[in-house]
Amino acid sequence: MNEALGYIVLGALLFALGVVGFLSRRNLIVIFLSTEIMFQGVIVNLVALSRLHGNVQGQAFALFLLVIAAVEAGLALGLVVLLFRRKGTLDVERWSSMWG
Amino acid sequence: MNHWPTLVYGLFAMGALGVYCLLPRAERSMRAAGAVLGAAALAGFLVLFARYAVSPQGSGVVFLVSGAIAIAAAVKVITHERPVYSALYFVLVVLAITPLLILQSAEFAAAALVIIYAGAILVTYVFVIMLAQQSGAAHYDRQSREPFIAVLAGFLTTAVVAAGIMELPVPAGGDPTAMGGEGPSNTEVIGRVLMADYSAALEIAGVLLLIAMIGAVVISRKRVPTEDVVESRTPGMIGREVPPY
Repeated sequence: MNEALGYIVLGALLFALGVVGFLSRRNLIVIFLSTEIMFQGVIVNLVALSRLHGNVQGQAFALFLLVIAAVEAGLALGLVVLLFRRKGTLDVERWSSMWG
Repeated sequence: MNHWPTLVYGLFAMGALGVYCLLPRAERSMRAAGAVLGAAALAGFLVLFARYAVSPQGSGVVFLVSGAIAIAAAVKVITHERPVYSALYFVLVVLAITPLLILQSAEFAAAALVIIYAGAILVTYVFVIMLAQQSGAAHYDRQSREPFIAVLAGFLTTAVVAAGIMELPVPAGGDPTAMGGEGPSNTEVIGRVLMADYSAALEIAGVLLLIAMIGAVVISRKRVPTEDVVESRTPGMIGREVPPY
């Protein structure tokens, strides 16, 4: 039994909680917070595996992940504000017309 | 140790059931049962890990405490009815993750995580919540859509990962202790790896940030026609009707 196992399970749990929040919540902002929780799970996994393999490449990937998270947050929140100005609500079900 | 796959899956299922009961819905009576179930599952995991996976002293204690705080705060993020509290609990998730990264000798990643996530990204979230959120909990925050399918998806994700790592052979290649101790610091090593091995990716990341900045400016300057402003109930295709609170 290895120490990294605990970290991988923790990362998987955080990722799964993010999935649950992403699929079940109706508020656009909370949906994007759920994606950030998934990012946290992946960062824990990357760093634990980096330690397990004894190199720092996982940590370098974690930094790139931070870049992606920042980009995602900036663009997504801009779009959220745009959608809110359009319909006056953050409810995703109001946008179900996008289903075609 | 043959009992432990069953035990792990049972704890996953118990936690999933707890999250299912905790998700916001019209009737609030299931909340307490969900909290008890979730806390019991978390306690079960703590006992399991303290028994088999991590040494229950020193860094193991830090792992158990931080991990438990992170999981509990993540559950609060996805189940809280007010987005502001969700954002604040997300800060708690980030702060609970940080000691784990330091334990894994990833000091630079830990510092970057606090500065970028808790400092920059969360401020953006709170700004948008202030801009776009009505006062109080909106009706769509009191009602989750398809909680059962969502929890099932999360449970299956975790179960598949757990099934995979219980078969996982421990790689023998690296020496985990080689990263600590004397020698160049963690920040220096990461800097060398980034500049030497991943310099192209680093440039692309910079360009990506620039594109995102321009995109955010363009998006936020765009004028949109205001459509019908909603009143309190909006039935969707899979949404259920909720009386306005």
